[in-house]
Amino acid sequence: MEDGGISQLGINWGVLITQIVTFIILLVLLRLFAYKPLMRMMDERSKRVKESMEQAESVKEQSTRAEEELKKQLEEASREGQERISRAVKAGEELKQKAGEEAKRETEKLIIKARSEIQQERDAAVTEVRREFADLTVLAAGKVIEKSLDKEEHRELIDKVLEESSGPKKE
Amino acid sequence: MTTPKKRGCLGCSFPILIIVAVIVLVIVVIGFLSGSIGQAMFHIDFPSWMVVEKPEIHLAAPHLFTIFGFPITNTMLAGWITVIFLVLMSWIITRRMKLVPNRLQAVFEFILGWIYDFCESVAGKENGRKFFPVVCTIFLFVAFNAWLSLIPGYGSILVHSNGSEHELLRGANTDLNTPLAIALISCVFVGYYGFKHIGMGWLKQYFNFGPLFRSIGRLFKGKINFMDIFSGFINGFVGGLEFLSMLIRIISFTFRLFGNMTAGEILVLIAAFIFPLAVNWLVYGLELFVGFIQALVFAGLTLVFATMAVASHEAESHEELKNSEKEVLKEGT
Repeated sequence: MEDGGISQLGINWGVLITQIVTFIILLVLLRLFAYKPLMRMMDERSKRVKESMEQAESVKEQSTRAEEELKKQLEEASREGQERISRAVKAGEELKQKAGEEAKRETEKLIIKARSEIQQERDAAVTEVRREFADLTVLAAGKVIEKSLDKEEHRELIDKVLEESSGPKKE
Repeated sequence: MTTPKKRGCLGCSFPILIIVAVIVLVIVVIGFLSGSIGQAMFHIDFPSWMVVEKPEIHLAAPHLFTIFGFPITNTMLAGWITVIFLVLMSWIITRRMKLVPNRLQAVFEFILGWIYDFCESVAGKENGRKFFPVVCTIFLFVAFNAWLSLIPGYGSILVHSNGSEHELLRGANTDLNTPLAIALISCVFVGYYGFKHIGMGWLKQYFNFGPLFRSIGRLFKGKINFMDIFSGFINGFVGGLEFLSMLIRIISFTFRLFGNMTAGEILVLIAAFIFPLAVNWLVYGLELFVGFIQALVFAGLTLVFATMAVASHEAESHEELKNSEKEVLKEGT
């Protein structure tokens, strides 16, 4: 290309160098005002996102752990309650048994006492009846034989007879 | 032109839609009649302020004035406006950055985060972070040079200097010096990382004369082996080719951006000349898209070349990167 052609296109060292300088100034200023803050912001944002994700992860883990803990506690509590109930039931059973035995013993005692009282009663009644009977017999015999016998003698006799008759019965 | 003439759409009631359609139609008709085609066909007299003069296209940016003997061009001014705009915006946004972003900060973070992800996906996590500032700056500078030059005022405010009228502002990308400057910076950036990572091996890629000298040395010792000398020549030649390809890279970087942006500007001027008022609605949309794509291609290729320089000598990744380079280029076209 000849010299005239180049100059017509407008290549000019002064302008060229000025434009290079302009571009470098733009590069420096944009680096200062645009790229650095932008990079900082982007880095911070990605850091923040990463952090929050990690946090969410840890929170999730924590919650699962808490849930597990709660479950365990619930299980523990329910087991304990069950145990307590069974223990109470057992204690009640024992109490019942003891009360039953006590009552039985009491009853038996009462029965024995009653039996001995009855025996005494009966003995007393038998003695009474015997005496009555003897009197009656004496009276009757007296009436039959009309004073043939002495009253004292008679009584003795009857007593002897009664003794003999009731002896074997008394066994 | 862009308003569809269907009933009850675009959230407008029917009468409003008709009014809009009529206004659009009137603008299109007046634009056509006052444009060069309409003038040639119908010769209707319009007031002089409505007729667009034939645009003068000059590729070289004119010197407007000099500060301390240093010439200032309109493209330099536009570049500085882009710098001020970008720095001011990012300062306003990052001054009070919050972890939970507001709307403006979210947009800002979305754009830069997207470029950052792009860097990471091409160059890997560690290198992507290192390459990001330069790549992102290239993207932002190219894109906002292109987009800001679409704002009314660029190319329409005229100043008198050196005895003629010039635009006060002109898109910085349309001056060959700007793409060349960015391409040189991109090349230096690639070279810096290549040298830093591979050391002298990176230079050996381009200046590979070692085998040749060794074989010549053996020749003096009396061992004559022509195959050795031949492969030494081949190695040196391949190194030269690599060097040439690096130079071509710079040139292709420069002229791709310069060509696209200048073509866009000329397209805007010509559209305004041939068919004023109406066609530029479409052209502006196209230019927004082209500016984005060119910025993406420039930044993407720089990123790919830097990754190649860092990961050189590994045949597999080399192949992979060639593919990704092709992909980026395909996106560009």
